[in-house]
Amino acid sequence: MPVRRRVAITGLGLVTPLGNSTATTWHALLAGRSGIAPIGAFDAGGYPVRIAAEVKDFAAPVHDRHRKLLKFATRHALFALAAAQEAIQDAGVGPQPQTAQRWGCVAGSGMMGVAYEELAQFQRRFAPGGELASRLLFAPSAPTPDPIAYARNQANAGLALLVQRFGIRGYAGSVHTACASGGQAIGLAMRLIRRASVDFVLTGGFDSMINPVGLAAFSLLGALSTDNERPTRASRPFDRTRNGFVLGEGAGFMVLEEWQAARRRGARIYAELAGDGNSLSSYRITDSHPSGDGPIQAMRAALQDAGAQPHEVGYINAHGTSTVMNDRSECAAIKAVFGAHARQVKVSSTKSLMGHLIAGAGAVEAAICALVIHHSTLPISANLDDPDPQCDLNFVREVACRSRVGLAISNSFGFGGSNSCLVLRNPQDVAA
Amino acid sequence: MSAPVAITGIGAICALGSEPAQIYRALRAGRTAFAPLRQWDSAGWPAPLAAGVERIDAGAIFDDRRLLKSVQRLRRTDLLGLYAASRAVTASAMLEYRAALPGAQAVEFNERTAVFTGCGGVAYHYQYDFLNAMAAGGGDLRVFGQKLGESVNPTWLLQALPNNVLCYLGIAYGFKGANSCITNHSVSATMAIIEAMETLRTGDADRAVAVGHDSPIEPEAILNLYHLGLLTADTTRPFDAGRSGCLLGEGAAAMVLETQAAAAERHAPVLGIIIGAGVTTEALGVLGIRADGDGAVRAMEMALEAAGITPRDVAMIAAHGNGTVNSDRSEANAIRRVFGADMPPVTSFKWALGHTMAAAGALEAVLVLECLRNGAAPGIGALRDPDPQCLPLAVSASATALHGDIALVLGRGFGGMNTALLLKAPPDATP
Repeated sequence: MPVRRRVAITGLGLVTPLGNSTATTWHALLAGRSGIAPIGAFDAGGYPVRIAAEVKDFAAPVHDRHRKLLKFATRHALFALAAAQEAIQDAGVGPQPQTAQRWGCVAGSGMMGVAYEELAQFQRRFAPGGELASRLLFAPSAPTPDPIAYARNQANAGLALLVQRFGIRGYAGSVHTACASGGQAIGLAMRLIRRASVDFVLTGGFDSMINPVGLAAFSLLGALSTDNERPTRASRPFDRTRNGFVLGEGAGFMVLEEWQAARRRGARIYAELAGDGNSLSSYRITDSHPSGDGPIQAMRAALQDAGAQPHEVGYINAHGTSTVMNDRSECAAIKAVFGAHARQVKVSSTKSLMGHLIAGAGAVEAAICALVIHHSTLPISANLDDPDPQCDLNFVREVACRSRVGLAISNSFGFGGSNSCLVLRNPQDVAA
Repeated sequence: MSAPVAITGIGAICALGSEPAQIYRALRAGRTAFAPLRQWDSAGWPAPLAAGVERIDAGAIFDDRRLLKSVQRLRRTDLLGLYAASRAVTASAMLEYRAALPGAQAVEFNERTAVFTGCGGVAYHYQYDFLNAMAAGGGDLRVFGQKLGESVNPTWLLQALPNNVLCYLGIAYGFKGANSCITNHSVSATMAIIEAMETLRTGDADRAVAVGHDSPIEPEAILNLYHLGLLTADTTRPFDAGRSGCLLGEGAAAMVLETQAAAAERHAPVLGIIIGAGVTTEALGVLGIRADGDGAVRAMEMALEAAGITPRDVAMIAAHGNGTVNSDRSEANAIRRVFGADMPPVTSFKWALGHTMAAAGALEAVLVLECLRNGAAPGIGALRDPDPQCLPLAVSASATALHGDIALVLGRGFGGMNTALLLKAPPDATP
């Protein structure tokens, strides 16, 4: 059997509630600065939840040649464009006409399509009483629908925009497994390089559900923290007093390359993307099994895929949503997989500072793992003052910690039971 | 050349029927399934036809009553997907095999069974659940926020999840392996099949259920597609000189895939094998399409290379053939470029069962297996006068006998997406 192709992470791009670039996000993480605040995008005064981790002062990446593409982008697609652009710049390599067919793109995409303002206009025109009056859609007085809005609202619109903007012509795929989307997208991207479908992949995840409908959807489920009076403390994964997650938004993208080619061109390699493990919890729609069943298989599969042993792992970026159910189940899973090493391995949930980016979460957090390896620095799990006794792991608390990391893993578990675990390896530990 | 993967169970549902063989027979009989829109008041609509599924036999999905009850609250697309998947799982007899395994092996069986779905994502009409609260708010978001609880189901988000079929297949059958849900317009289903196949090839699973499902017949989709010139007010006639667009259909299809070793181990009858695939994009935006069919050409070439075969080995092509002016022409260009003088019969199924969008690739793959089994490809019944700009293209209004055991399924979707999938009849089949 031929030797499996190795995959290098050579470029990173982030747009997060902590900053609109990789550097600003990373510095805020290390400083323990929270991105959570009262919602500014709209009046959430009528909602039980009035806080979120919004992307701030975001200016869409405007490049004259691509300006007309921007009207095809929703807010979350703009985040994707910006993060992807940074990742490609950071990698120092991008699709060229002669290499375009060897580039792929895999994105974990959110589920929201139509922006609230468009839905509101639709309601005023075609459902004045609250129920759709379908005859009105084709009434002589009805305006012709905007084809750009239709294009923008397609489930694969973000993917289509990315491949168009960067001129990618190989494999292209869009993945949605709720909160596991970003992690699963990156895992699939890694597999494309392994199986030589392509040599480069632009991959990541993006989402924004901080809008009147998205916030409503999560509020109605009762999944969000209602600590409106102290937003920066609201997300406190693994803390005894946690009471739900905080909605975030943003995008994380990375450039993956075949290892040898990256080496030959002298690329800076943040980490090897070494393993991908997916599993299905097959338990309930939103709940995870208290034993950690589901996430256990994902972590084990990822480690096996990386050819790694649990004791080699130095850092876990936990899914850590700040819900009782997830946090306990995830800790049980970590203990089951890591055994005695579970007390040693350092763990943090960066959702404590940037909230839950839903379909973008797994991608942003995988990028953070790459930065952890690159900078030998581990971000904190904020607001963890009184750990849940059932969550007795070695959390990074209060201040970021300096430590060389050989292997880092990123966990992402989604509604619907899809679990993703990615394993990243320190490039210094890769022979040849 | 990569290892072929065995197909050991299939299921399908669309307006033409609720079993693959039944749908195939309807196609051969030249039946179409279009009917006036009944789901909403469409008086005065210029494009009043669609191929909706008359009835989904929910009782045939799962026998667990509690599960069935919660499944019945799901969106139509998910019910269709679960129906097709449950039929494929039942047909494969994989559960009977698992039942006979000792405990630890049954656990391993579940952990090494993957599930891949392809679907359309969140439809416009899901958000209509919020219109009442919006009307009550009259533009005041505070009132909207306060009124939500009165008119929106608290589990709205869970009912809207694109990955529900994945979730419920896991819960119903206990499958716990690798998984994904692909939302990539009309190539979603084919990509689900391709990723399931690749997961088996890399040894990350022994078996996989691959499902494509969609229910795109909704007011705003029809409104927009009509104004874009993609939907016909007439009937849909792929590759015909007089074609004027597609008509929407809904449905789902599923396959149980196994490594050849896993299929052999349990002596599973093999219905066909997947021998190669290709995926490309054209990078022209959501609505762009290259006239020369470049993306489709490259997808076909990749699939042929992966399978280690030449165009001459292909016995039929199930084209995407959606009946829109530009897509059909560019697809014909692509097929001509790859196949030239070696072109086998080309057909499309959408003239009869409509464009089922994200489900299309799975339905077409399942129907192609029926074609191979029967040794004949149904014609494009609505074809009157092939478009000279698409010619030479081996299309016909009547059925064609197949000479060979390999079929190509072409898929295309918004965003310039292209897929090619090569299926082969089982070794012992005698067409």
